Amino acid sequence: MDIAERTGILMSWRSLSVLVPFLCGLFAVLLSNLPLSLTNGLVPAPLLALVPIYFWCLVRPDLMTPAAVFGIGILQDIMGGGPPGVWTLSFVITYAVIDRQRDAFAGLPGLGAVLGFATAALITCASTYFIIALYYWQIPLLSPIVAELAMTAVFYVPGAYLVGLIHRRLVGPLRSEP
Amino acid sequence: MANSTWKIARRSNAQLPLVIVMALAVVLVLLGKAQAGLFDRARMSLTDWMQPLLSVAHAPLVQFDRWVGSVDELFTVYQENLRLKDENARLRQWRNVAVVMQDRVARYQSLLHAVPDPGVDSVLARVIGRASRPFLETMILDAGSSHKIKPGQAVVDARGMIGRIYLAGSRTSWVILLTDLNSRIPVSISPGNRQAIMVGDNTAMPTLDTLSQIVTLRAGDQIVSSGDGGLLPPGLPIGTVVEQGGKYRVALLADASSSEDVEVLAFRKPPEELPSSLELPAVAAGLPPATATPPVITIAPEPPVTAKPVTPPAAQPTSPADQADEDR
Repeated sequence: MDIAERTGILMSWRSLSVLVPFLCGLFAVLLSNLPLSLTNGLVPAPLLALVPIYFWCLVRPDLMTPAAVFGIGILQDIMGGGPPGVWTLSFVITYAVIDRQRDAFAGLPGLGAVLGFATAALITCASTYFIIALYYWQIPLLSPIVAELAMTAVFYVPGAYLVGLIHRRLVGPLRSEP
Repeated sequence: MANSTWKIARRSNAQLPLVIVMALAVVLVLLGKAQAGLFDRARMSLTDWMQPLLSVAHAPLVQFDRWVGSVDELFTVYQENLRLKDENARLRQWRNVAVVMQDRVARYQSLLHAVPDPGVDSVLARVIGRASRPFLETMILDAGSSHKIKPGQAVVDARGMIGRIYLAGSRTSWVILLTDLNSRIPVSISPGNRQAIMVGDNTAMPTLDTLSQIVTLRAGDQIVSSGDGGLLPPGLPIGTVVEQGGKYRVALLADASSSEDVEVLAFRKPPEELPSSLELPAVAAGLPPATATPPVITIAPEPPVTAKPVTPPAAQPTSPADQADEDR
């Protein structure tokens, strides 16, 4: 295998690995919106898509772009079944906040990182709550969105471990930024 | 967590796309408000595509739910058995009463030549999925438009009404539950046949908005569908009135979380036709039917009568037919 061929394979893999964060986001949306419940609907499904959004927004914002977040949000809206655009706007607002406070979020170690993610989830859930309140022009019940927030925060630790693994295997070695 | 593991990439310097994307997202919400069914086709295509997977994956989950749900019942099985025996004996008595009353009603209806209730076709469907999002309570059925299921039709189980069809794909359909934030059902409260709207608010018990301010409700009053609007058949059992915090709510008879097989009622009230002219009140009373444009009657003063010499009119044929008659 000559150098040109190797470079070609590397370039094609590189272009594919750029899509990994976005595809992970889409897969997380599909997974969390499967209409199957182990708790018989007692608790809502977590917002798993927020984990790759948060993670790659901090680690590689050039791979998790606003357009990618928009696409993930649209799939969440389609799969979730609610009013169109609500989750999309909430995700984009959350992305904007994380992007502006990126240094503060990225420097959090250990439990602080979980709290950082919980803050991001809080922004998403609060945005959704207020958009829904405006959409229907009534104050919705608070407990379902609080349950959603709690479930999402709980799932961050295994979710972050998984996306970290994916990053290390598929994205990290090909990272161009030092 | 993992944040400290990797060096962080350069801040994305593309601020303009974020602004554009946020504006697009706002436009999407506004567009969705104007046209709520924006994503309906995509939703149904996805659900239809996933239907085989959902059907396969749902069965073990149901077994798991049953197993988990029955663990705590092991400790109360004896008391539960006694309670059920007692309830069964009482229900048998009520069944006998109901059979006698049913015969009596049928006899009265035949004596009065009462118009029978319209027959309602139904489709039996299996629940293959449930979605519990913060502001959406739905279930997914394994029957769709290929089974003549249409949006708006009522979904019931053996105990009562669960919800309405919200979206109908070719092989699957989404049900919006009575507890959902978007659910509005016209209901009738008996005794008294009082009308109200049952409004879902994401709690287990929807609220009641009575149409009249002077209506007083009591706990235990029965709620059935009123049939207003012609989409739902009248008289579907829904629940009973309970008072909670000064508001009237409905304790639903059906438990959507445990329903596995449901019926979709294909009820469509035929549009009321105009009565024929023979059925109009005037004709029924023996009077001549009114014309669409009554003739204008003008009363003119009669001319004065004067004596004129009578002369035979000149024969002037006016038409070829008249001419032919004269030739004959």
